[in-house]
Amino acid sequence: MNARFLALEVRRAVRNTRYLMFTVVMPTVMFLLFVNLYGAKGQVFPNGLPVTTSLMLNMAVFGLMSAPLAAGARIAVERSSGWQRQLRLTPLSSLGYVLTKGALGMVVALPGILLVMIVGGLFEDVRMSAAQWVEVAGGLWLATLPFVLIGIVIGLLATADGMQALTGVLSMAFGLLGGIWIPAEVAPGWLSAVMHVMPTYWVKLVGQAPLVGGADLGTAVLVLAAWVLGLGLIAAKRFQTDTARV
Amino acid sequence: MTQTTALRTAVTLTGLRKSYGDVHAVDGVDLVIAPGEVVALLGPNGAGKSTTVDVLLGLTAPDAGEISVFGQTPREAVVTGTIGAMLQNGSLLDDATVAETVGLVAALHRKPLPVAEALARADIADLANRKCTKLSGGQKQRVRFALALVCDPDLLVLDEPTVAMDVETRRQFWRGMREYTDSGRTVLFATHYLEEAQEYADRVVLMRSGRVVADGSVAEVRATVSGRTLRAVVPGATEAALTALPGVQAVELRGDAATLACADSDAALRALLAAWPAAHDIEINAVGLEDAFLALTASEEQK
Repeated sequence: MNARFLALEVRRAVRNTRYLMFTVVMPTVMFLLFVNLYGAKGQVFPNGLPVTTSLMLNMAVFGLMSAPLAAGARIAVERSSGWQRQLRLTPLSSLGYVLTKGALGMVVALPGILLVMIVGGLFEDVRMSAAQWVEVAGGLWLATLPFVLIGIVIGLLATADGMQALTGVLSMAFGLLGGIWIPAEVAPGWLSAVMHVMPTYWVKLVGQAPLVGGADLGTAVLVLAAWVLGLGLIAAKRFQTDTARV
Repeated sequence: MTQTTALRTAVTLTGLRKSYGDVHAVDGVDLVIAPGEVVALLGPNGAGKSTTVDVLLGLTAPDAGEISVFGQTPREAVVTGTIGAMLQNGSLLDDATVAETVGLVAALHRKPLPVAEALARADIADLANRKCTKLSGGQKQRVRFALALVCDPDLLVLDEPTVAMDVETRRQFWRGMREYTDSGRTVLFATHYLEEAQEYADRVVLMRSGRVVADGSVAEVRATVSGRTLRAVVPGATEAALTALPGVQAVELRGDAATLACADSDAALRALLAAWPAAHDIEINAVGLEDAFLALTASEEQK
């Protein structure tokens, strides 16, 4: 992979106002809104997690989900606009292109996670040890991978027109059905069952694992790995037919 | 074609074929281009120019045939920066400036030109910080030209480079090209503008229906159509009847005004006057490149 190319791609993505608004600033704004709306300060969930901390984690997941979805979906635009054809006249391989977009997805997911955590720690009394801060941020960031792959799959499958609607619907679905907007604890049984299949639910669990005892990390890793594997296979298959159609 | 001669040529295409379904886009093209030549690939739409270019660039895999670019495969030539190309309808990034777009492509190449130099050569140094969305059609073409130049290629391939340009921009573009070709680079450009081929190419390769129908200097191509053009007003004539006359290769009929591309204009004229004694305003000329182009490209459509 070409580091300079990746850096230029990151710069393009980060400069995008929509990216900054919706994936970096928005989760933090929602976090502040919820904390103060619910008057949740000082309250603690039965599992020992302060409500404020839980809301912070939810919004971090919201942010890390949106950024790579948007970044991957840009592939659809570059496919249809002919920019990809232009890139095929460079030493960059098709695989190198997809890997760069994957790395881009990981990089752009980070600012949203960090901002909401910094605001939580500085202004909303979220308290944890230094090691826990690092573990939570690192765990969340690593667990971004399924969403990076979802973004790439959208980018490889959707048309430039369709991808906007598709990313919107998917982030709604993953958010709502993944327990970001409604906690799994208060959801009706069937919804709770659906939530346990969504990557979003398990990413949140990875995030809170350093803070609560007895989190089912094994299952989280299994479910997320299944998503990564499945999406990876779809992407590889799609990618093959894409490059074969020369 | 031995390996050593392939090395000494800039481009060698041998027995190139490419079909899309039932359409033979390229149907047996052989072409050798020497280093330093400026070659125009001329032909009407659908002649197979763009497919030939795509195959040469490795964007399309041929069904059959050999391609060598300075002794390399197309992909090798792209990877080593030996070949640079300006694509027809190539897109630019809508969220980046001109300098960033060229910089992005430069970052991918192994031995790129400095971005500023590529911009200067394409005559767009003043547009470096302009967003790609805020460019005119001609300016966009020049950015694409910079993208083609930035790998400092030995062979430059241009697919319909001036298609979005007005006359003045077109002239400027070719002036820039001249400077480039004067440094001994090889250029292959596809075009359907005759005057561009005539004016800027050392050599014209005329394509029709996926085949090369004429290849040589402008004078040589003109000479391949040894015939003459016969123009006359022929009341009551039909295209079919005129085409059936001896010595006639192609017919263009507008109202009563007929233009006949003739292999043997003497025979054609005798037969014409015998069949239509009322024919008048008769003119016979030696063919220009344009007539040669018409004759060579039209005779297929008549079949």
